[in-house]
Amino acid sequence: MQLWFHNENTYPFVPREVLDAAESVRASLPGHLLDPKIAADLFHECMDESLLCDDVGINIVSVEHHSGINSLYGASPIVLGALARQTRNVRVLSQGTLISLRQDPVRVAEEYATADVLLRGRLDIGFVKSGDSEMASNNANPVGNLERFWEAIDLITAALKNQDGPMRWEGKHFSHRHINLWPRPYQQPHPPMWGATGDPDTSRELGLRGMVNSVVLRGIDGTKRAWGAYRAARSEAGLPEPALDRFAYAAFIYVGDTDEEGIEVGSKLLWFLNTSLKQAPQFSKFLPGRMPAEMAPQVYRTKPRPGETRAARPADALIGMTAEQAIQRQIMFAGNPDTVFKQIMAAYETLGGFGHLIFIGRSGYLTHIEAEKGIKMLAKEVLPRVREATRER
Amino acid sequence: MIRTERLIVHGVDLEVFRGGEGDPIVLLHGMRSFSSGSRFPALLAALGSVVAPSLPGFGGTPRPKDFDTIFDVVHLVRAVLDSVPGAAVTLVGLSFGGWLAAEVAAAGHPRLGRLVLVDPVGIKIGDRQTADILDVFNRHPNEVRAAEYHDPDRFAPDFDAMEDVEIIRYARDRDALCLYTWHPYMYNPQLPRWLPRIAVPTLLVWGGNDGIVTPAYGRTFAALIPGAQFSVLPNAGHHPDIEQPEALAGLIATFLEG
Repeated sequence: MQLWFHNENTYPFVPREVLDAAESVRASLPGHLLDPKIAADLFHECMDESLLCDDVGINIVSVEHHSGINSLYGASPIVLGALARQTRNVRVLSQGTLISLRQDPVRVAEEYATADVLLRGRLDIGFVKSGDSEMASNNANPVGNLERFWEAIDLITAALKNQDGPMRWEGKHFSHRHINLWPRPYQQPHPPMWGATGDPDTSRELGLRGMVNSVVLRGIDGTKRAWGAYRAARSEAGLPEPALDRFAYAAFIYVGDTDEEGIEVGSKLLWFLNTSLKQAPQFSKFLPGRMPAEMAPQVYRTKPRPGETRAARPADALIGMTAEQAIQRQIMFAGNPDTVFKQIMAAYETLGGFGHLIFIGRSGYLTHIEAEKGIKMLAKEVLPRVREATRER
Repeated sequence: MIRTERLIVHGVDLEVFRGGEGDPIVLLHGMRSFSSGSRFPALLAALGSVVAPSLPGFGGTPRPKDFDTIFDVVHLVRAVLDSVPGAAVTLVGLSFGGWLAAEVAAAGHPRLGRLVLVDPVGIKIGDRQTADILDVFNRHPNEVRAAEYHDPDRFAPDFDAMEDVEIIRYARDRDALCLYTWHPYMYNPQLPRWLPRIAVPTLLVWGGNDGIVTPAYGRTFAALIPGAQFSVLPNAGHHPDIEQPEALAGLIATFLEG
């Protein structure tokens, strides 16, 4: 079992009344609401938390989100570069540069090859489909996003593997006449590749490609659907059963000395769900291409008709959740070390195992000191027991 | 009386609304496709033989694989003009359809006899930091609704009152429009250069309260087309075909008689 630290570098310091009045806490908040000095402190604190992980044997996830209080990591390749130089031991997963939002995947491949060399082969590459307000923030057409996503992955993979001089790409969305990466990646033929999704159709494609399927905050049922699709696609194609290292589960985790401390501090992580997800309707329910048109009646109406089930983006179900609900839904593990160990193992058994656990260990008003304590407790008191318990799998 | 039929043009299976007799009129919808109950196509059918296709992705027309640019749509409209029987065609385009009609007319088409553009989009005239065309994908739906209609309470879609099929149609229209017009948003930077090539009698009609593209934009648009007439319809927003269908049909009737 590999453990990964995931920290979005959130910026919670915007007055509550401003957030309540804003139609969207992503994409549209004016820049004057951010104090660059506070942002600088946050970047350094978060980098230090990653370096602590490097010391205690927890891998690091480098994430990307744009233009909102939910994350300051819009320029994710820059953060990845800093991590690449500063860490010495653990693996770093970029999950990831949002490739369907970038005009030129060849530049993304170049950044990843450079990061992998700087890391001396400790890079994992994760792909995320993105969506919602990030389409506006990156000027990316939301219709056709998935097509661009897969073509970009194909192009990046081909560029990373190419060692034979200039290569050409004349695809539907991307064209390039002269692809020739220097440096090529440290790992051959390329760093391990992941995809973050709870969408079964996307999981199927990940399965066919043998990529790692990470599922972030979808809980047990959503994760089972995704991984079930992954396994079914491989089975139908006559491919070997996937090993557990093809599956990554992500949850909020906080380990305290006591259950009370674990839950009290861990509850602060839920700021991410309760405050940072609010998006204007043009970035969410009315965003074109976001879901099949056949689902629009359930989404566009302000009140459901009798017998109609509501369809919403997965994140909508997360807003307003309490710690008890989050623990019960197994998207949060919080308490003393023994409690957290049991919660992790319960999810592990229910899901039939997974090779990677991604833990969101800092968010919102959870402080740097609290985050570092949680990381140390998890690494020292929980991780060895989890590794021991899952060794045979 | 308007009939809903299928018409296969260049391999594309189009839903078309047809009605009337006489000289052919090809009617291109705007941001929203027509339906069998739309009033304006029925009124236009009193002036000629109307064919109003739902463009690929809109309404009941599937979008073929890899059919996804304005270039595809403009070529398809040219093929529709080729397919209609009879004499010279009057091409009427609303909003997004007005852009398509202007592209076809600027390139020239042997069947084209007259051109009517109603609140068309398609050109960029203002400065770099000012949107000429309200961004219907980026602004709050309430702002778009207020800009789109002179009387939104009466004419804007009410999803709670609409049937499933109508909402699905609306969502399909929005997806298709977004695919074709996201970038650059609703305009072709090269089109103003070629609009002076339009060589057929042209009428532009503008909703006096259009907040998506203003009448001032319309006057600039019209000035680029040699000899174009320009009329403003009061008590209409971006969709005069919905808010003032009789008055719009009346203006077109006068234009066709002239």
